[in-house]
Amino acid sequence: MEPPPSTLDERRLYEHAACGLVLTDQKGTILRCNATFCAWVGRTADELVGMLRIQDLFTMGGRVFHHTHILPLLQMQGSVSEVQIELRHADRSTLPALINIFRRKEGDVIFDELAVLIASDRRAYERELLLARRNAEASLQALAKTQKALQEHRDELRRADRKKDEFLATLAHELRNPLAPMRNVLEVLKLKALEDPQLIQARAVFERQMQQMAHLVDDLMDVSRITQGRVELRRERLDIAVMMGRAVEACAALIDAGAHQLRLTLPAQPLIVDADATRLTQILTNLLNNAAKYTPEGGSIWLEAEEDNGQVAVRVRDSGIGIPADHLVNVFNMFSQLEPALVRSQGGLGIGLALVKGLVALHGGVVEVFSEGAGMGSEFVVRLPLVAPDLDAGGAGPAAPEAEAAVALAPGDEQQRVLVVDDNRDAADVLAMALELLGFTVMQHYDGASALAAGPGLLPHVAILDIGLPDMDGYAVARAIREQPWGRDVLLVAATGWGQQRDKDAAATAGFDVHMVKPLDFEVLGKIIRQRRDAGRAGS
Amino acid sequence: MNIQKRNNVRVTGNGEVTMVFAHGFGCDQNMWRLLVPDFAPRFRVITFDLVGSGNSDLSAYSQTKYGSLQGYADDLLEILDQYASGPVIFVGHSVSAMIGLLATIAAPERFLAQLMIGPSPCYVNDGDYVGGFEPEDIEDLLDTVDSNYLGWSSSIAPVIMGAPEQPALSIELTNSFCRTDPEIAKHFARVTFLSDHRADLGKSQVPALIIQCSDDVIAPVTVGEYMHRALPRSSLVVIDNVGHCPHLSSPSASTAAMEAFLASMER
Repeated sequence: MEPPPSTLDERRLYEHAACGLVLTDQKGTILRCNATFCAWVGRTADELVGMLRIQDLFTMGGRVFHHTHILPLLQMQGSVSEVQIELRHADRSTLPALINIFRRKEGDVIFDELAVLIASDRRAYERELLLARRNAEASLQALAKTQKALQEHRDELRRADRKKDEFLATLAHELRNPLAPMRNVLEVLKLKALEDPQLIQARAVFERQMQQMAHLVDDLMDVSRITQGRVELRRERLDIAVMMGRAVEACAALIDAGAHQLRLTLPAQPLIVDADATRLTQILTNLLNNAAKYTPEGGSIWLEAEEDNGQVAVRVRDSGIGIPADHLVNVFNMFSQLEPALVRSQGGLGIGLALVKGLVALHGGVVEVFSEGAGMGSEFVVRLPLVAPDLDAGGAGPAAPEAEAAVALAPGDEQQRVLVVDDNRDAADVLAMALELLGFTVMQHYDGASALAAGPGLLPHVAILDIGLPDMDGYAVARAIREQPWGRDVLLVAATGWGQQRDKDAAATAGFDVHMVKPLDFEVLGKIIRQRRDAGRAGS
Repeated sequence: MNIQKRNNVRVTGNGEVTMVFAHGFGCDQNMWRLLVPDFAPRFRVITFDLVGSGNSDLSAYSQTKYGSLQGYADDLLEILDQYASGPVIFVGHSVSAMIGLLATIAAPERFLAQLMIGPSPCYVNDGDYVGGFEPEDIEDLLDTVDSNYLGWSSSIAPVIMGAPEQPALSIELTNSFCRTDPEIAKHFARVTFLSDHRADLGKSQVPALIIQCSDDVIAPVTVGEYMHRALPRSSLVVIDNVGHCPHLSSPSASTAAMEAFLASMER
């Protein structure tokens, strides 16, 4: 269809174009403008043409921008595009406009052709964008600040955690020191034939509490070592059934004391794990002890093991007090039982389960806890990687413990002279007392120098040296003894609070024959001394 | 600190005496392209970009250092230390005229003359003083700068429309001229238009030429006259020009005024 003639009128197209069209001279004086532009600025063509310059219709900011940007750009590149300027209407209101300008040269005369578009919407949109950007930047800044604060908190927590670990390690060590002489005292008491029933009962209480305390301190020490990455596993192929049996044996007393019924289900076929026998026993006894402790008298405890998806799953279940759902998450964290809700007498530091979790993790396994809630019993499941059974049957299982040597006088003991050196006088004296009761001849010294001085007079067969001595450490004393004519063949025993491989290595390097961790096991010590005596006899 | 990189320093021309050209707010050293050819045969010519403008090192921009014009004046003296041996003829446009003034006060021995194009010691009206701007005008300007730099974002080069009668500009020029980081542009505008160095005018004893445009929104004639009264050894020349950049729109008149002033100094 042919458009009506009026639409084809070019003049009409110019006057009523969808944009303002303006022609100015070089100085900006308006030479021509269309009706659209006149309407936008609220002035007639007569008021504009030859009367005003385009910059006169700008706001002050626009005029400065005209001078600092638009004119230089027109000079330099002959055009300007997409400049946003506020146009001033005759009624003083402003109108956001988008302006493109061409500069044309006809002969020596320069003209600028302007196309003006109303940009209210675009302006509003851009303001929103700017605002959004500002908000986003503010949020980002706030986020960065929060993250920094979080990081600082994390660092602070980490420092605090490290300090706590260090404190616990030191605490465990410090607690262990007085335990050694106390235990020695107990051993001495046990060697005495007591008649007074009160004293006998007191000794039994002392022993039980002593054991309980030693156990707690050991656990605490182990947890500290695990957190500090200082536990080394002595792995071997173990049949889980054997280990279960051993754990049951160790816990039998406590289970009996609670009149609990233990239901043991061993796996049908051997399930082999690659584990440290001592540590695995520790894991299982801790769980069993826990079950016995948190189950009211006459309850049931189940211990089962089965193969589950390439793993060994050992379950320790009880009919005990159970664990509320909101405590399940924290049950393996140390101090979790500091919750006031728990019965105080049943509470504790929660060291046992933290130790279980740490030891299981060291073995590459996981431990899980399930409970339907308070009063509904608990179930702990230890999952350890399963190892294919060794084809050489009988390889699994730790070497059977040697038959306990009777603690009794053996011939020739009195001829064995023992030098004890420990700056903890109680520890030294009690150890000496115990060894004397075992029948040895003992002399104790409280520092290295006097021990060395006493050596030629005593001519000891055995020297038991504490490592942390005030004047010279036990290693130095050991080296010095080895240099004495009387010291070359002495059986040197290091007694330390630390049982790490590197401690043992240090002791061996210094010339020690044996490394023992405090508190010293007198039976083992007696056995070692006698072995030495026998070997000496055989050799001479 | 690499001053060449920081200020995009360019040295051209030949002569015993060095002329240093400093651009004003809005653009960069390309502003001088019509003027430099007149002086390069007889003078050693240093042009540079203010930090934050043109191809200067934007990472060197610090809101603290450039929170006053003194920061730019310190840069100028460092440029002179590195690139000029004797005293120089300084040509400063707009805000750079004030930057140069601060430098002549700090180190008068480094300057033979200061040629100021469209200078203003203070843009905002203050009692009897007519700088040409009310505080709300400054806000309006910052707003305009803001809306326009939004369009000229760092990733989008402005479309240069065909201008048949104009020689094609190099890509480098079209991409850098009048463009910089929007935040810097705004800060620079704020520092420039809120500066007040009227009290410093009396302290500069270096001979000065004030080139005043007859019709300049940014530096009205009254400001040029005020400058002339307050600046001790100054001459004032008003040239017929609309706008703030006579060195672009009236290069021959600008050159003539400068040449006449330099000739008068030699006598």
